[in-house]
Amino acid sequence: MDFYRAQDQARRLTGRLVLLFGAAVLTLVILTNVLVGAALVFVQQPTSVGMVTLVDRLATIDATTWLIVTLGVVGTITLACLFKVAQLNGGGPALAESLGGRRVAADSTDPAERRLLNVVEEMALAAGTSVPPVYLLPEPGINAFAAGFGSGDAVIGVNQGTIDALTRDELQGVVAHEFSHLLNGDTRINLRLIALLHGILFIGLVGRLLLRGSGSGHRSGRRSGSNGAPVALFGVGLMIIGFGGTFFGNLIKSAVSRQREYLADGAAVQFTRNPDGIANALKKIGGATAGSLMTRAGAAEASHMYFANGISHWLGGLMATHPPLDDRIRAIQPRWDGNYIATTAGGFAVGSATAATAAATTSRFADGPIDRSTTIDVLETEVADSAALVGNPSQKSQDMAEAVLESTTRKLRDAAHQAFDARALLYAMLLSDDAELREEQIRTIARLDSDRTAQAALRLLPDLDGIDDLHRLTLAQTAMPALKEGSKAQARSLLRTLTELIKADRQIALFEWVLHRLMVQELRPHFEKPEPPKWEYGTLSQVADACSELLTALATRGNPQARSQEAAFRAGADALGLELRFEPQPDPNLTRLSAAMTTLRKLTPLAKPRVLKAAAETVLADELVTVDEGALLQGVSAALDCPLPPAIYAELKR
Amino acid sequence: MEFLIFLAIIAGLAFYVVAIYNRLVALKNRYENAFAQIEVQLKRRYDLIPNLIETAKGYLSHERDTLEAVVNARNQALAGLESLKGNLGSADAMKELASAEGLLQGALSKLNVVVEAYPDLKANENMMQLSEELTSTENRVAFARQAFNDQVMEYNTYRQSFPPTVFAGMFGHPSDAQLLQFEDSAEIQAAPKVSF
Repeated sequence: MDFYRAQDQARRLTGRLVLLFGAAVLTLVILTNVLVGAALVFVQQPTSVGMVTLVDRLATIDATTWLIVTLGVVGTITLACLFKVAQLNGGGPALAESLGGRRVAADSTDPAERRLLNVVEEMALAAGTSVPPVYLLPEPGINAFAAGFGSGDAVIGVNQGTIDALTRDELQGVVAHEFSHLLNGDTRINLRLIALLHGILFIGLVGRLLLRGSGSGHRSGRRSGSNGAPVALFGVGLMIIGFGGTFFGNLIKSAVSRQREYLADGAAVQFTRNPDGIANALKKIGGATAGSLMTRAGAAEASHMYFANGISHWLGGLMATHPPLDDRIRAIQPRWDGNYIATTAGGFAVGSATAATAAATTSRFADGPIDRSTTIDVLETEVADSAALVGNPSQKSQDMAEAVLESTTRKLRDAAHQAFDARALLYAMLLSDDAELREEQIRTIARLDSDRTAQAALRLLPDLDGIDDLHRLTLAQTAMPALKEGSKAQARSLLRTLTELIKADRQIALFEWVLHRLMVQELRPHFEKPEPPKWEYGTLSQVADACSELLTALATRGNPQARSQEAAFRAGADALGLELRFEPQPDPNLTRLSAAMTTLRKLTPLAKPRVLKAAAETVLADELVTVDEGALLQGVSAALDCPLPPAIYAELKR
Repeated sequence: MEFLIFLAIIAGLAFYVVAIYNRLVALKNRYENAFAQIEVQLKRRYDLIPNLIETAKGYLSHERDTLEAVVNARNQALAGLESLKGNLGSADAMKELASAEGLLQGALSKLNVVVEAYPDLKANENMMQLSEELTSTENRVAFARQAFNDQVMEYNTYRQSFPPTVFAGMFGHPSDAQLLQFEDSAEIQAAPKVSF
């Protein structure tokens, strides 16, 4: 299963979900109508209501009543959904906070937290995405979740029990599993699912309220009349209907979720190249006293987002949001002996469980149909296959990410992990070489941000010397969690200052353009509500102009001569299968490229890999990849929401 | 029929009130988390000061008073931070920390002036490293404080707006959160620029 198919399937699942949800609402409407009808009949003539007379009498109730009841039910469900949608508008961070999560500071010095942050960072860089913020949940069970509508508001949440009980390899397996959910678009459906199910669940809640209300009303009602009984009955009826709705809602949720879990487990094995990490994590859940259960009150509605079952249910397997532990372990380690690993609470586990058992295991995922190691090998000889790399971090790209970070100084890396210093780092990246211009930029920082930040940026400047644009971009992606700390006002001022710095020299360099796009995409959701993506264009021919603009920019960047520019452009156009005309641009216009990227973002996700592939073909036409081209490619892949792992740079540098 | 309309209205109101409650809780959590960030950086600073004193002591045997003033101010600020823990709503505790911080700032700038007169100490590698670290911690405190104050403002504004103000007291948010403002902020603004 590749990234695009997984994402596409996720979207189709969403479609099916809406259908099922519609059916559930319809059922609820009909049932409530019958219930209200019955209640009305009961009120009008409490005695001797047989089954036949009930039906007869239902027929006499006029249409307005039906209409009102229907509107009432639909309205209530809509209201409940909207309420939840509003609550989830904050995306990943809002959900993590509502589950009691505490944000782990990017510069935390606690060893267990530090290890967790490092694992998340490695995984994100290997996948070519920006590093998401991490939330820690004060729960003893071994569990984790990922949430968010897009990369800007994506978060990873991990239980305290998880970092206490798991070794680094196991933690890596769990984090890789969660990354798969983020990359495959599962988190988006999951957030919507919460909102929809809340609507259905709400009917039952109203029933319960009515029952309670009529109970107290009954006591005073003895004097004024006997209105309490039907209301109570009505409440019970609503509750039963509500329970039915919840039941089917949960059934939908569980069925969808279980299917995605196997996929995520498989992906975790691919990402980490280590089946034992995740398998042992699962075995520890089986062996732990707290298992994977979540104790917080609101945990149930997010149950389908966790790493393992967070909620136990009396119906067991049918309602489980995750496949049975044993099945999941066997899927990874077919020869598993059935023994769980006992864990002791407290004191985080150190050491590695890999080496000894790794050789003995043959796993379905390790060499099964969804393994992509072959793709990565192919890639070593042909980068044009870059599209297959998207959403598929490999060991190789992890090594690359590490190498990129290693090549920067300790001071820069530390700065990237600290809220204040990370801002200064970004500013420093944009400072001009020209002394006069730099002076002006420093004044801009002091004016829009603060004098302190300006001074800090100047202090970081010498360390940035000799670090190329690609490494700078990677540093910026590493800095993302630190940049997302702080208040909305601070995020807004950061973006404004960056824009002003870029504009200082009256022209936009390529690196500046890419960095700006990345920052807007990542930071905007931090102070504005995340926007759901829109797919306006279904075919490549609809966006031919934008494609042409993109390929022209790439061809012009990488080739000095007009002839080779055209050849590079052709290579890309052929990959797209479009008849495009090459119009050389002496001065590449990044404003037009921006407009083109905005258009391409609205392209249907299944067509995006072809654009990326064409871009790679253009870059590779002369078998030489410049840093400029690499940076542009990274900007393009980020803009298209197709994160490109850094393994590709191995080829770029050659 | 009227009953159902009544029910719908009640349901809508209930949603709204629950939303207010949740938002108040979320905003409160957020400013409390923001304070945790300040706390981390302040603690770091308080931990650095004894090292600074230790290094300076050898050179500054005649400046006992200045050194002692720094140590005392540091201890007072640390105590202020401890008493504020789990007591963020208290205006007095917040003021106490702010004034202790102001005192510490004053003592530190006095020390800086003194150090200027001792070129050997100024050139001491340990001293240079410590002063660099103090400066960057200073910057981080300022940033974290700004973030905290922004969050407090957001909480206070929401709490005071209508209709949340009607329910705020009932839901356990009886008073505004306290901003953390250091006394004599002009002096502190200048602090990181002073070099040893």
